[in-house]
Amino acid sequence: MDKPKIALFFINLKTIRENSMKTDSETTHVRRVSHWKLYLLIMTIVFVIVFVLALNLGFAPISFSDILKILVKQVPVIDNLVDSSSVSRTAEVIIMQIRLPRIICGALVGAALATAGVIYQGIFRNPMADPYTIGASTGATLGAALVIVLGVGVSLLGVNTLQILAFVGSITTVLLVYNISRVGSKVPVTTLLLTGIAVSLFQTAIVTYIKVIAEENLLHSLTFWIIGSLAPTENWNDVWSILPLILIGIAVSFLFSRDLNILALGEDQAQHLGVDIEKVKRILLISGALITAASVSISGLIVFVGLVIPHLTRVVIGPDHRILLPTSAIVGASFLMICDAVARVTMGSGEAPVGIITALSGAPFFIYLLRRRRKGYLM
Amino acid sequence: MVVLTIDGIDCSYGSIKVLENIQFAIESGEFLGILGPNGSGKTTLLRSISRVLKPKKGTIFIGDADIYKLKPLEVAKQLAVVPQDTPITFDFTALEVVLMGRNPHMPRFRMESREDLDIAKNSMDLTDTWQFADRPITELSGGEKQRVIIARALTQEPQILLLDEPTTHLDICNQLEIMDLLKQLCTTKKLLIIAVFHDFNLAARYCDSIILLKEGKIMAVGESTKTLTSENVKQVFNVDTIVKTHPVTGTLHVIPISRPQNQHHKSILVHLICGGGTGSSLMKILTDEGYTVTAGVLHLLDTDHETAQMLKILTTNEAPFSPITDETHTANLGMINKTDAVIIAPIQFGEGNLRNLEAAEKALEKRIPTIILEDGPIKERDFTKGKATKYLMKLKNSGAITVQSISELLQFLDTLEENYNKDSNHRNPP
Repeated sequence: MDKPKIALFFINLKTIRENSMKTDSETTHVRRVSHWKLYLLIMTIVFVIVFVLALNLGFAPISFSDILKILVKQVPVIDNLVDSSSVSRTAEVIIMQIRLPRIICGALVGAALATAGVIYQGIFRNPMADPYTIGASTGATLGAALVIVLGVGVSLLGVNTLQILAFVGSITTVLLVYNISRVGSKVPVTTLLLTGIAVSLFQTAIVTYIKVIAEENLLHSLTFWIIGSLAPTENWNDVWSILPLILIGIAVSFLFSRDLNILALGEDQAQHLGVDIEKVKRILLISGALITAASVSISGLIVFVGLVIPHLTRVVIGPDHRILLPTSAIVGASFLMICDAVARVTMGSGEAPVGIITALSGAPFFIYLLRRRRKGYLM
Repeated sequence: MVVLTIDGIDCSYGSIKVLENIQFAIESGEFLGILGPNGSGKTTLLRSISRVLKPKKGTIFIGDADIYKLKPLEVAKQLAVVPQDTPITFDFTALEVVLMGRNPHMPRFRMESREDLDIAKNSMDLTDTWQFADRPITELSGGEKQRVIIARALTQEPQILLLDEPTTHLDICNQLEIMDLLKQLCTTKKLLIIAVFHDFNLAARYCDSIILLKEGKIMAVGESTKTLTSENVKQVFNVDTIVKTHPVTGTLHVIPISRPQNQHHKSILVHLICGGGTGSSLMKILTDEGYTVTAGVLHLLDTDHETAQMLKILTTNEAPFSPITDETHTANLGMINKTDAVIIAPIQFGEGNLRNLEAAEKALEKRIPTIILEDGPIKERDFTKGKATKYLMKLKNSGAITVQSISELLQFLDTLEENYNKDSNHRNPP
């Protein structure tokens, strides 16, 4: 299985970091920065390995060489370099039309949730924050619940109404929470956090009521959606509908990574250091909300990735957001691809929702990390 | 060279007015201290000057520029702030925190250069924090962390430095080191420093000028010797203090005196024979107990004379270092005649004050109870070749009472007070 590999990978990085601390000639910072490229390289390699492994895993056995041939065939200039005649047409369809879009969706959603987690933990300066902190999840659930229960799930230009309403519900809720919390031109984060909780509870109440009155068969698909699954994403439409939003969101948040560092000193001090905090908060909250809403709209509520991946990555590479953001995105993408691969194979045809796998595998590992760290890491 | 002008600002949180019409200007190389009780608006003033809290009225200028019209980055290039406390969420190393001070000088897409690192190292050397450059800031002690934050502020290379109780978390040695450093930066680098203090003495020692804030208004502004008077301190803080120039440091020294616990006024009058500081604590204790106290004869400029003045105790005085003249002696006797008890503090006797014992003798003759507070053998404080010792013996023989401690003295005075009240009840039946 893939699990031990990723654990080993983290332990190795940890050793690199610890060993490098022992030399006195240079300081942690300089070393840390020089190791950034190494971290990125290693993580990208791991990402590629996981990606190929995930393509390989599945009900129909397709060899690695066939996968490689199929992939190369898609690239215009080099497509003649390999002889793909031996690859069956079925294999190509399975890879290109089913597995590849689903795995890309998994990678995008994983990267988006991890990035949003980093953003929200940074803005709220609270280790409990995750992409769903200010209501993105319950808003999306409400939208999805309405579509499922009212049975208006139709497809529109390749995107179905469930996705659209989940996305709209998510974004509207975040904007609502943001505007309720606003005092003049400022948005105090504590108010934001509490308003998020209040609005979420309100929406949860409505969703619960919908569940009570919903018919049995609809209830099942709603529950499946709430737990989060990548099963419905086996098509390219989903990829294209979220790809631009997520890439832009991640890129924008990366532009403000240094501001996120400074926000760790508190809002007053961030201002003293020249950060236009209200502007930065607004931009980051919106990009976080956009990428979360995009993910939720195609995969439902996949919990734990947004909370745990940022912490896990921070333990290994340190708290500097300039490296934390890109690495968290890559680790989040790899993690969700692995969990989804497990979800696909564990239960045969009737697969488990990936949300269950993320929580089942992530929680114990996270607790182990917390226990291993000296006290006080989180605060 | 830069001038910071606070141009008549009003600040409020919601509808609560915190600052009212604050107006002053300060220029490079000056060190201004702000003192005031809790809630007087000190921190608010700093927040307002640092572009965090926009005033409702008025504004702040750095040179000719209104800081609320400048971009935050522009202000951050010129002005740095050290807050009271910095809660840091993630475990950045001390060096990383210090390097954040370079933010206003760095373009968005650039990493810290060698030069930025050198500036950071230099500030960390100044604040003696380079040795824990690699340690996570969350693991440092309060004092270490504060020094790192000061280094971070210096790394901003500001012209103006604002500090909010910068030394509260530091031990005495670190306090002095940091204050010396700030003072040095102020004079050599012409840094403009505004700092909020709770410690009068630290402020008096390092600041060129001081602002006293009370309820959001400036109560006094100017050189420390003019602003830190015991009247001003009483008015602003409602605390009695003694303000003196310290003989060693040569700076003002503000010593708070405990607020009187017993406001119950007692009926009897007591007269103190003291000098050379032997009566100061007695005066304080007796007035706190509610007794009306007089003292004499005291030499002007004597410690006891200063204390008496501060406690508003009536005294008969003699010129410094002079023997007691007949005139003063008579005045003293007049004062003694009105009192109900005479207390002789454990003073040193010389020819100059021997006549005070003569006054005590007269008191005994008039049947006024006289109490000798003893503290060690009289011989050691007799500089009159035994005259004082003899005199005291004589007083004891004529009925003076000897007590060994202040509590014994207070007990005795209590009895006198009770008897006095009984007598007056007899005299004036209800």
